[in-house]
Amino acid sequence: MSEPEAALELEGLEVAYRGVPAVRGIDLTVGRGEIVGLVGPNGAGKSSTLHAIMGAAPSPRGDVRLYGRSLRGLSPERVARLGVALVPEGRHIYSSLTVEENLRLGYAARRSHDGLDEDVAWVHALFPVVHEFESRKAGALSGGQQQQLAIARALVAKPDVLLLDEPSLGLAPTIVERLFETLGEIRDRGVSILLVEQRAQLTIAFADRTHVIANGALKLTLGPQDAGDTARLTAAYLS
Amino acid sequence: MLAAVNWGQAIADAIALGALYGLVAVGIGLVFGVLRLVNFAYGELITAGAYVLAYTYGWPRPISILLCVGAVVALALAQELVAFRPLRRGGATPATMLVATFAVSFLLQAIYLLAFGSRGQIVGTLGRLNSAFTVDGVDIRWILLVTVVTGLVLLGATAAVLERTSVGLHIRAAATDFRTSRLLGVRANRVIMLSFVISGVLAAAVSVLYTVSNPLVQPTMGVPITIFALVGVVVGGMDRLWSAALGGFAVGLVYGLFSDVMSSTSSVYLPAVVYGLVIVVLLLRPAGLFGAWRSAQVERV
Amino acid sequence: MRRVLELAGPIALVAATAAIASGISSAHQLEFETALVMVAIVVALYVFVGNSGVISFGHASFVAAGAYLAGLVTLDPETKNFTTPGLFHVLLHAQIGLVPSLALAAAVGAAYAIVVGLPLMRLSGLPAGIATFAVLGITYDVLSYWGKIGPGVQTLSGVPEASSWSIAAGVVIVIVAAYAYQRSRFGRMLRATREDPAAARASGISIYRQRLLAFALSGALAGLAGGLYVHQLGIITPELFYLDLTFVTLAMLVFGGMGSLWGAVVGALAISALNSFLGDAENTVDVGFHLTLPNGTRLVTVGAVMALVLILKPSGLTGGREFGRWRR
Ligand SMILES: Nc1ncnc2c1ncn2[C@@H]1O[C@H](COP(=O)(O)OP(=O)(O)OP(=O)(O)O)[C@@H](O)[C@H]1O
Ligand SMILES: [Mg+2]
Repeated sequence: MSEPEAALELEGLEVAYRGVPAVRGIDLTVGRGEIVGLVGPNGAGKSSTLHAIMGAAPSPRGDVRLYGRSLRGLSPERVARLGVALVPEGRHIYSSLTVEENLRLGYAARRSHDGLDEDVAWVHALFPVVHEFESRKAGALSGGQQQQLAIARALVAKPDVLLLDEPSLGLAPTIVERLFETLGEIRDRGVSILLVEQRAQLTIAFADRTHVIANGALKLTLGPQDAGDTARLTAAYLS
Repeated sequence: MLAAVNWGQAIADAIALGALYGLVAVGIGLVFGVLRLVNFAYGELITAGAYVLAYTYGWPRPISILLCVGAVVALALAQELVAFRPLRRGGATPATMLVATFAVSFLLQAIYLLAFGSRGQIVGTLGRLNSAFTVDGVDIRWILLVTVVTGLVLLGATAAVLERTSVGLHIRAAATDFRTSRLLGVRANRVIMLSFVISGVLAAAVSVLYTVSNPLVQPTMGVPITIFALVGVVVGGMDRLWSAALGGFAVGLVYGLFSDVMSSTSSVYLPAVVYGLVIVVLLLRPAGLFGAWRSAQVERV
Repeated sequence: MRRVLELAGPIALVAATAAIASGISSAHQLEFETALVMVAIVVALYVFVGNSGVISFGHASFVAAGAYLAGLVTLDPETKNFTTPGLFHVLLHAQIGLVPSLALAAAVGAAYAIVVGLPLMRLSGLPAGIATFAVLGITYDVLSYWGKIGPGVQTLSGVPEASSWSIAAGVVIVIVAAYAYQRSRFGRMLRATREDPAAARASGISIYRQRLLAFALSGALAGLAGGLYVHQLGIITPELFYLDLTFVTLAMLVFGGMGSLWGAVVGALAISALNSFLGDAENTVDVGFHLTLPNGTRLVTVGAVMALVLILKPSGLTGGREFGRWRR
């Protein structure tokens, strides 16, 4: 096996809202088929980083590359169509649309409809509720079911890179475990994943590599072997 | 004071007026839904269509009407491309956007005045529809029937596009949450352009129907139409198209009924009564009569 | 020093306009004086719209109330008996001087604004805009047909006219009041609600009360401006206080920059100047050569310039900055 090719590369990425910096120069790489974690305290700049990748946050400097191609200056819909899918924090499903319509919105970013049926079947197998409650209003789903719908919606876009922003938010521990298992299955289909999480321990144990971000900068990188090392983690959080 | 009223007549007239305002309300509501933009220059689209009809009088009717639709849609797109899009790019606040649509409205009226004069032009395209048939002692003009049927057909067609096509799904998603829809890959500009096209088609239909009963075209004819439809949109509830349509219909209906029912001395206060009702409705239900409460976040492109 | 400048800038501009107005031929005098009155109306509008960030389409109503009251109470009762016999008794028989009539105009503007504001200030966003618009519609309709408060659609004429300097004095009062409010605790609280409603609420500010206060003051100043208007023109109709005035004054405010008093003054004067110049040019004007524009050019150009400035500079000519604060 050769060195894994980089699916997503961030280089010196910065984000500033009206001149106030939120992300101060991040370098990070997600290889093809890798799961990379990003953890850190509230307000550290995790969501801002993901939005900047999508071209949806003001980024004065830095570059984002998808398989070597720069995404800088592209609109969110363009980035989505090039193969990056975001599952946003707080899900942002359309509660007045049906579950099926929500899923169909995911097709918007597909480059072709070839293989759509298989992808939908796969997603239905991963998340049976999405199939079962197809014609319900999405607003009538439980929080965890909505989260599944949000991930399903991102998957039917057939992305190369999947960005997840706190997918475990509000889920019961057993469900979180299942969710992580599912992420493993998704990765096995060749999707590269950048996973933003609050559950640091779990993420560190699960991801190939986990970066700790605080105050808009990466402080520390940990591997699964470091999962028990709370002291270093705490220090990075407080820095 | 109630004048002697032929209720059947009054109701028939009022329904036709309601159908017209319902169409205008959908045109305004559609663009509002997607862009959170109240386009005050919408009425000037209707005026433009009416001028096209006036100047092509005597041409074969289908051609005249097609030209009207084409010109109105082109003008709607021009409003977006020349004025509204650059404004959004420049980061204008909602207040500035609103005033900018006034400026566009004002500018178009001035252009009409300069180009076509203040005296007015007469539209005769579908004048024959003013003839009537009688049912149970009620004179029903053909135009009433045509207006109601056209209104229903166009609303149905708009609903079908929105409900049954994928680009319609994208419009609905963009209207609910613009930002997220873009993150999902919905092409913002295409969705916006399409809503301007649909709202342009609706405006052209109003030009054709409205001028049958009100054949005199003047530079400012669009203003009261916009105002009443906008009132209808807000009273109905602007977060959904059908509530906006119902609101427009309701305002037209109430206006039509009152103007037939009130005697001539008190009917001068009709606008005041309607506006008074509007205030009451807004105080009791700020989200509109038919709207559910939703704190609409203002998102822009 | 800065504070002095902030107030001195607008006042100097008003004084210069008044000086020109008092020194020139009568045809142009009218235009300069109208520009001054527009400054007063736009500044009154600014007190509410600029500080709260909420659009009001209702202010022409307060201007109308002030104008009609100030006009009627300064007319000679015998004339009124003849022209408008249906008036309320007090209106029919009262006759007072210029200054008290302006005070009354301010009072009626404030009263009307409070009556309207008590229920309406609970609304915000578009419903608020439409509700204030409805107020405008009601005012226009009632003013056009109710004989007890005025001559209806007929003109109200023969109102004693004031000199350019007294009009300018009134405008300065409006500006000073607006400035004093803006610097006060209340003005600062209202602007805090504009910047961040949630934070303002959390720090104990009642948005409703602050808006109502500004609306009342704004109504008073608009009423006063209406009084100035009627004493400037001498003759008014309800049409004068309807859509055109509403849109033009809002456009002036946004054009100048709705975030500052300076913007309000500049916007009012700039659009007035453009409007007058083009109006003249339609009847030939000498600008080194003789320029004659076809009729209707004025409106097209004013509309185009307004639209263009908004597109190129959405924050207005002044960028919402006060006089003397150029750098940021
Ligand atoms: N739209 C915005 N406008 C202004 N500032 C923002 C905006 N979004 C985020 N910020 C600021 O940027 C910083 C980083 O926010 P971000 O949402 O990226 O944090 P986060 O790491 O995702 O936090 P959390 O764990 O709470 O989701 C914060 O200080 C936040 O206040
Ligand atoms: Mg976050």
